[in-house]
Amino acid sequence: MSAKTTPDRRATPPSPAQSPQRPAARFNDRLEQATRGAMARVAGNRKTGRMVVAFVLAFSIFAIANPRVFLSPLNMQNIGVAAPEIGVIAIAMMLAMLTGGIDLSLVAIANLSAITIVSLYSGIAASDPALAESLTIPILLAGVVVGIGCGVLNSVLVSVVGITPILATLGTMQILNGIAVVTTGGSTLYGAPAGLSAFGRTALGPVPLLFVVFIVIAALVALFVSRTPLGRKIQLEGANPVAARYSGISSRTVLTSTYTIGGALAGVAGVLFLARNPTASADYGASYVLLVIVIAVLGGTNPNGGFASVAGIVLATLTLQIVSSGFTALRLSSYEYAIAQGVILIAVMVLDYLMANRRSRRSRVEPGPPPTPPGLADSSSTTLTDSH
Amino acid sequence: MASPPTAAVEPVLAVHGITKRFGGVTALAGVSLDLLPGEVHCLAGENGCGKSTLIKIISGVERPDSGEVIIDGVAHSRMNATSAITSGVQVIYQDFSLFPNLTVAENIVLTAEVAGRQKLYRAASVRPKARAIVDELQLDLDLDSEVGDLSVADKQLTAICRALVHAARVIIMDEPTTALTHTEVARLFAVVERLRARGVALVFVSHKLEEVLAISQRVTIMRSGRVVTSGLASDFDRRSIAEHMTGSELDESRLVADLDESAAPRLVVSHLDLPGAFHDVSFSVRPGEILGVTGLLGSGRTEIAEAIFGARPAASGEIFIDGRRADIRSIPDAVDAGIGYVPEDRLSQGLFLEKSIADNIVAGSLDRHRNRWHGLDRARIRATIAGLFSDLKINAPNPEAPVRSLSGGNAQRVVLAKWLATEPKVLVLNGPTVGVDVGSKAQILDLLRKAAARGMAIIVISDDAPELVSCCHRVLVVARGRVTHELSGDEITAEIIHERMAA
Repeated sequence: MSAKTTPDRRATPPSPAQSPQRPAARFNDRLEQATRGAMARVAGNRKTGRMVVAFVLAFSIFAIANPRVFLSPLNMQNIGVAAPEIGVIAIAMMLAMLTGGIDLSLVAIANLSAITIVSLYSGIAASDPALAESLTIPILLAGVVVGIGCGVLNSVLVSVVGITPILATLGTMQILNGIAVVTTGGSTLYGAPAGLSAFGRTALGPVPLLFVVFIVIAALVALFVSRTPLGRKIQLEGANPVAARYSGISSRTVLTSTYTIGGALAGVAGVLFLARNPTASADYGASYVLLVIVIAVLGGTNPNGGFASVAGIVLATLTLQIVSSGFTALRLSSYEYAIAQGVILIAVMVLDYLMANRRSRRSRVEPGPPPTPPGLADSSSTTLTDSH
Repeated sequence: MASPPTAAVEPVLAVHGITKRFGGVTALAGVSLDLLPGEVHCLAGENGCGKSTLIKIISGVERPDSGEVIIDGVAHSRMNATSAITSGVQVIYQDFSLFPNLTVAENIVLTAEVAGRQKLYRAASVRPKARAIVDELQLDLDLDSEVGDLSVADKQLTAICRALVHAARVIIMDEPTTALTHTEVARLFAVVERLRARGVALVFVSHKLEEVLAISQRVTIMRSGRVVTSGLASDFDRRSIAEHMTGSELDESRLVADLDESAAPRLVVSHLDLPGAFHDVSFSVRPGEILGVTGLLGSGRTEIAEAIFGARPAASGEIFIDGRRADIRSIPDAVDAGIGYVPEDRLSQGLFLEKSIADNIVAGSLDRHRNRWHGLDRARIRATIAGLFSDLKINAPNPEAPVRSLSGGNAQRVVLAKWLATEPKVLVLNGPTVGVDVGSKAQILDLLRKAAARGMAIIVISDDAPELVSCCHRVLVVARGRVTHELSGDEITAEIIHERMAA
């Protein structure tokens, strides 16, 4: 890594996880920091780096296979507009996985948020369209609040009642899906604030505004995870819940905030659904539940908790979106896309395994002191039974 | 103690001129060792001296670059783990590698059945086989209890029995006495005598020099991949072994700072009570004082510490810090009150193994490093990490290295750093030097003295008497959940502590 030797400050690329450069920070300080962190960053960014490769690879393959359709501005715009809603849910999934849990209810929450917004809007618009339009922001907030409410429900089940996250959120997913079907009668609802649809169509030059929103959310979450005490506690809780407890970290606080934030992000994803397409239904994005888990893991999230990278999630989201639209450009079906998803996931996992093998062989070059033997893992459990 | 075996006996196992390199680093340089039937051979050395690598080579897990392993006069240059087992070499690791969900009898017999390529498992044949071994060693083991419910000592005995099923000629035990009480150690040593009578050669890898000296016939000491010295155990004492291990003279004399007798106590524990764990525990610790708490495993010493830290709060009684009553119902309560706790099991309770040293150091003090926007003040965090990293002399290339890569002594320093970063008023340490090599141990005790000198009140829970003698102003002895003795001044000697603990 060049950061080790070059004094150039561009040598440390400002990824969302480690950005704003404070101009006041002394150069010396930066150099020292860069050197000390270099090792860790190589380790931490390895998975992100691998996603950069996958991203470039996917893009090149389709750009070469069918440049006329794939590289068209329309297709690029489509990728930029479709990625955010999946990406935001994947970021929420990453947070849950960072604590060592999972949140299966995120897509259901997003749908419920979208249904809430459409119902409120069309309910008000039926009597007074102008009023409904002027209430756009409160109506959208209502959708996000529904998301937060669902997140709170999850967090109570996981952190207070202590249900395993996969079961708790499986339950809430079913409940929320059921509520969505019952309230909509299973049909698709139409109608979203015109302002929101206009926002969804707007672009800053070639970049759709929705995509900008996605990047802003990603940057905020990255800052939250790496630069706030709570974010660090979320990482530590996932890395070793027992040590976190013995370090004075309250798992209840950590889990409660994680699932609540996840709910809020899913609520925002519901808004993004509507910005792209002013319809809401209970079964929208049914395939997203597993897709966002794939994205989270591809993006470098450790399913056992403790490690994740928002930059990796953004790249993984884009890569899968590129493959999806590339398949469309090549006139392949969504079933073939499903196969590709599975192949990519397994290929990346195999790649990980091979790289880990090579690393461990290389790291034997410097064996250092042998790892401490398992210690007294049993002694605490025997303190009460043993009284000779 | 039995007389040492004579040199005329043919060794069961001998290694000659073993060299092993990992890349550019030489882990073993021309190491030779021979094990005689019926001897206990102590293999001592600091972490990283190469003894683990040597054991791996003897047990066929690693292959030497040069040199040979000779078992019963047959040289094996390409031994693997399976051929080592069939040749009668057994290693009992610290975690014993037992199946907690199976019974003692099944654990003893099952691996041999599997290794013997038995196609079918006959439950009926298990018990007699296991019974024969347990009887031969005259053990009091319940063959039908599940291993998960056993004490550490009984798990160890189960592992020894399992080794004998494989007709073990050489049994290597990694830190066999670390997790045992004094009575259990005595029991283990009785079993070891019976194993010797069978002609088994035993290798003890240990940090606990006193105990090992009591049972070993010969001692081999390694440092930096070489055998520094080897000879009869009777020619060594604690001090000379430590000197050979560290390569320098070790100061283990009592070194305690004078206390300001008039200072108000920093911590007062008053009539603390938790049914089933401890009763009516009262004591106080002054600023700058190091208080030792000792007792057998299960005496309630750990429970008292965990009650003060809020991990298992007391049912009644009061805790005062600097004269103010602290209502400790949870760990965050204790941390807010200024209490830090270095837990007993550092690998699972103390450390985030996959995280960096830096992340571990600030894990307990994240809220103290907030800036005015409630984010982390990164400059201050860097200063804290860099300061503690160098003050505590943590031996790693940089603070970003993962904690997993550290040796026991360095890992413990990281746990210590985590709590020093919170600037606690009271620091409780449970077994601060368990599994730590001799050199690091002295340094860790020194760090405690320095922390105390800054006005901290320190409680050291330990069953390592020399360690308590070395650093404690007073020592409380706990038995059956009560404080039975308080030792101070000249009363604090290893002999008196042992005597009071056993009483």
